[in-house]
Amino acid sequence: MIITKKKDPNNILETVKKYDKFFLIGCSECASLCGTGNEEALQEMTDFLESNGKKVTGQLVPKTGCQTLGTKIELKKDKEACADADAVIVMSCGAGTQSATEIFKDKPVYPSNDSLFLGNMTRFQMFDERCSLCGECVIGKTAGICPLTNCPKGLLVGPCGGMSDGKCEVSPDVPCAWVRIYERQKSLDNLDEMKEVLEPKDWSAGQKPGNLSTRSEKKEEKK
Amino acid sequence: MNFKEALESGKFTVTAEVGPPKGTDITEMLHHIDLLKGKIDAANVTDNQSAVMRINSLSVCKIAMDKGLEPILQMTCRDRNRIGLQSDLLGASILGVHNVLCMTGDHTSAGDHKEAKTVYDIESVQLLNVVNNLNSGKDMMGNELKGPTSFYQGAVVTPEANPVEPQLMKFEKKVNAGANFFQTQAIYDIDKFKGFMDFARKFDVKVLAGFVVLKSAGMANFLNKFVPGITVPQELIDELKEAGKEKALDAGMNICARQIKQLKDEKICDGVHIMAIGMEDKVPEIMERAGLL
Repeated sequence: MIITKKKDPNNILETVKKYDKFFLIGCSECASLCGTGNEEALQEMTDFLESNGKKVTGQLVPKTGCQTLGTKIELKKDKEACADADAVIVMSCGAGTQSATEIFKDKPVYPSNDSLFLGNMTRFQMFDERCSLCGECVIGKTAGICPLTNCPKGLLVGPCGGMSDGKCEVSPDVPCAWVRIYERQKSLDNLDEMKEVLEPKDWSAGQKPGNLSTRSEKKEEKK
Repeated sequence: MNFKEALESGKFTVTAEVGPPKGTDITEMLHHIDLLKGKIDAANVTDNQSAVMRINSLSVCKIAMDKGLEPILQMTCRDRNRIGLQSDLLGASILGVHNVLCMTGDHTSAGDHKEAKTVYDIESVQLLNVVNNLNSGKDMMGNELKGPTSFYQGAVVTPEANPVEPQLMKFEKKVNAGANFFQTQAIYDIDKFKGFMDFARKFDVKVLAGFVVLKSAGMANFLNKFVPGITVPQELIDELKEAGKEKALDAGMNICARQIKQLKDEKICDGVHIMAIGMEDKVPEIMERAGLL
């Protein structure tokens, strides 16, 4: 899921200072699990804005904020509240925020969160990054552990000289990704896989902005 | 005899470091170059060492060469993508810099521009492969070069890494990628180092043992605590302590010289790499004490 963190509300207030009335949009998926875009977070934002002399005309926690069409349909019932607002504050990730940018053609849209990474939830509201969405997965050759993400240098061929007692030089509390890979390959009796030198990464596989259509040809024909 | 010839001939080879300064006043650096030339076989010119922004390695390599000190261009993968690295390697080649040390490079978080974007488009083993390609007249995409390079390429290794197995596997990958010589992280325990050399001797590569001169017991404790892959044995720390504050540096130089002499006399490795870290002026004296001058 996409991991988000709340921005400092005072910074948000400064960014939107020229507007008075806001419509708030959260998200019931990732941002709800992160506690940044659920009903509670939206209420907290409403209270904050109102205590600073602003008005909240309405709010919605759509099912999936980044699903542009679905969110647009869900917003139909809030047509008046939306029309009444000077601006929209989106309390999900950068993708959800840009769905709103697309939906609200005539209103400014502001994010209330910083989007951090694609995360795994290790415990309730505790998240770790495991995948960088690089466009060409290599973990079939690295014991199911992504060195591109788990090593701050993203090294594909083995540990650097900064590894110390199995820990990373950048974050001494974090185990070295390549020591983890080594230990797992060893326990799986797969050390020969570690002898392969991976080719330099093809970064063009992850060129921005990404786009993909998985619509079948049949569907396209019907259309 | 140049650096490559010295190493390949079996001469006990000595390298040291020239650290480009931060700023355009290079008076002190020029003084260090003068002190080292004619004494050591070649000098590594560091590449924004510890991720601290300084003069680039290549410019200083050229200056050292013009002053008669053979340079080893250190190249890290932290600051340049594959286009920048290859382009700088071609540039080094036309300037007559033919020794290159391929490294991954300290992370930006260690340096003075922590907000910088790290690159690491490729890393040390892949960079060695790139140098091979350039030497054979092709860039890393296989495009034909108008004139090949002729680099003598080396790499680094940390013999006392813990755990050491993944480090040794990477060492082997570097050998297979064409590394001709290795300079090691600082070592202080010759017996342990012999163990590493038993492994390294299986391969057709030259190994220069790394030395960081100990200035005090405090410095030794600092290295043990904060520098990955360095272990200063307690008996050496005691030796520095016994020497007293004023004589500690002298004792540190003696330790360094004694260990270098042992490596040479017992033919344990092919040479040494002395990282003086601000005490370049002591390098000739250490070499004298080790019987190398």
